[in-house]
Amino acid sequence: MAYIIAEPCIGTKDTACVDVCPVDCIHPAKSRSYDDGRPTFDEVPQLYIDPTECIDCGACVPVCPVTAIFPLEDLPKKWQAYTAINASYVVGGKFQPDKFQIKRG
Amino acid sequence: MSSLREIIHENVREGELYQKLDRKWVRCFACGHCCEIPDEQPGVCKVRYNQGGTLYVPWGYVGCIQCDPIEKKPFFHAYPGSLAYSFGMLGCDLHCAYCQNWVTSQALRDPAAVAGPMRVAPTELILDALHQGGRVIVSTYNEPLITSEWAVAVFKEARAAGLLTGFVSNGNGTPQVLEYLRPWVDLYKVDLKSFDDRHYRQLGGRLQPILETIQRLYSLGFWLEIVTLVIPGFNDSVDELTRLAEFLANVSLDIPWHVTAFHKDYKMTDPQNTRPETLVRAAEIGKKAGLRYIYPGNLPGQVGDWENTRCPNCRELLIERYGYLITGYHHSARLLPGLWRVYSWTMGCCVLPTDYRPSFRAAYGPTRFVCAELVGSRTSSWLSMAKRHVAETDTSLLANPARTSSRVLM
Repeated sequence: MAYIIAEPCIGTKDTACVDVCPVDCIHPAKSRSYDDGRPTFDEVPQLYIDPTECIDCGACVPVCPVTAIFPLEDLPKKWQAYTAINASYVVGGKFQPDKFQIKRG
Repeated sequence: MSSLREIIHENVREGELYQKLDRKWVRCFACGHCCEIPDEQPGVCKVRYNQGGTLYVPWGYVGCIQCDPIEKKPFFHAYPGSLAYSFGMLGCDLHCAYCQNWVTSQALRDPAAVAGPMRVAPTELILDALHQGGRVIVSTYNEPLITSEWAVAVFKEARAAGLLTGFVSNGNGTPQVLEYLRPWVDLYKVDLKSFDDRHYRQLGGRLQPILETIQRLYSLGFWLEIVTLVIPGFNDSVDELTRLAEFLANVSLDIPWHVTAFHKDYKMTDPQNTRPETLVRAAEIGKKAGLRYIYPGNLPGQVGDWENTRCPNCRELLIERYGYLITGYHHSARLLPGLWRVYSWTMGCCVLPTDYRPSFRAAYGPTRFVCAELVGSRTSSWLSMAKRHVAETDTSLLANPARTSSRVLM
């Protein structure tokens, strides 16, 4: 299980969630460069939660200004695809270039 | 009627384990999450919260109190047979699906957890502990680290009343909280739940802060015992238990390791209850790693001789147990790590703290101690007998004192 960032984040990318996450599992962080070739903050439409590093603490939920974050079991049906979209960016801290390209066309 | 959150928010005071950040944010150091908390929000534990740039923490209540044998905590190498007075507050930084105290630990997170807090003052708790015959007072039931400020307030009174103090914790600590606790906490039990970071994340934490806390607790001189609840299919693989036992053995061979049996609880009802054979297998893994004191628990009478304490060198039987009960306590000139009572019949009861006698500590490491009850003036001759026994039966220890001191592994 993990938390999922859904559609309302697109175009918002507030990053309060990145600041409160106790295990740094929300990516990409603002003004941080990664050396595995992943798209940086300015190049992505939304933020993503790494499903294997998320500890299900829920700290990110109340700080999101656009209510974009849901626990998996409460994710609205219309946004079910965001489970795979979140996992397409990184899993276990590793960039998923193939999956990410497919999702983003 | 007030909600649980409202009641809890009436029983708070400003915390000591935090740092103010800009934008009225704070960073809390009570547990390994080190939450950065925005204004008007709680930390992951839900009970420490930021209001206007000040961190408020639980104060002045208990969620649960109970007086039990210290073996139930479990501490096996500290005041065997004593009564431990346990108190807890509400909340936890983890959310283990098999928590046996979920009614208190998951309050504010799970609506089904509805433990009601009871207002008390530290002196009232201590008087009750003394009245019930407690020798030790322990913060448990919820995660004590997240309520450290209150625990220290209670423990200051406890020390004045001559009680020993302890934490029963998940070990998700920080350097700051351990420094804060060191003057006031004697005993520390860490529940090392797994040796796999993925498993820990399922429970709501990470492995690394817990391993660092264990190493730090040992080097700071807390009396440390470790518990691992062995859950079939979750953490009972030979590989995982071996790595876990080897980690402990590298911190110190003298750390008692309790491998206890799981029973179905809270949300974890799939795995079978742990069988005695599984616990004995875990204990044998610990023995192979070099650990000297391994205790399979929660299955009284089903794990043979493993419940007892023997001299690791000559195998002489020192303490016999059946579950939480001490069934035999043999007076013998033997050295065992731990905290033991020393009786002087003419002067009443006195206690040996862990760091008494610098020469002793230098020779045997910070936690190597004397087992058995001593009688009055025979103490010094008894101690020299015990030292001689170690010298004769475990020469490697004296030749290489580093075996009992802390080493950094990870």
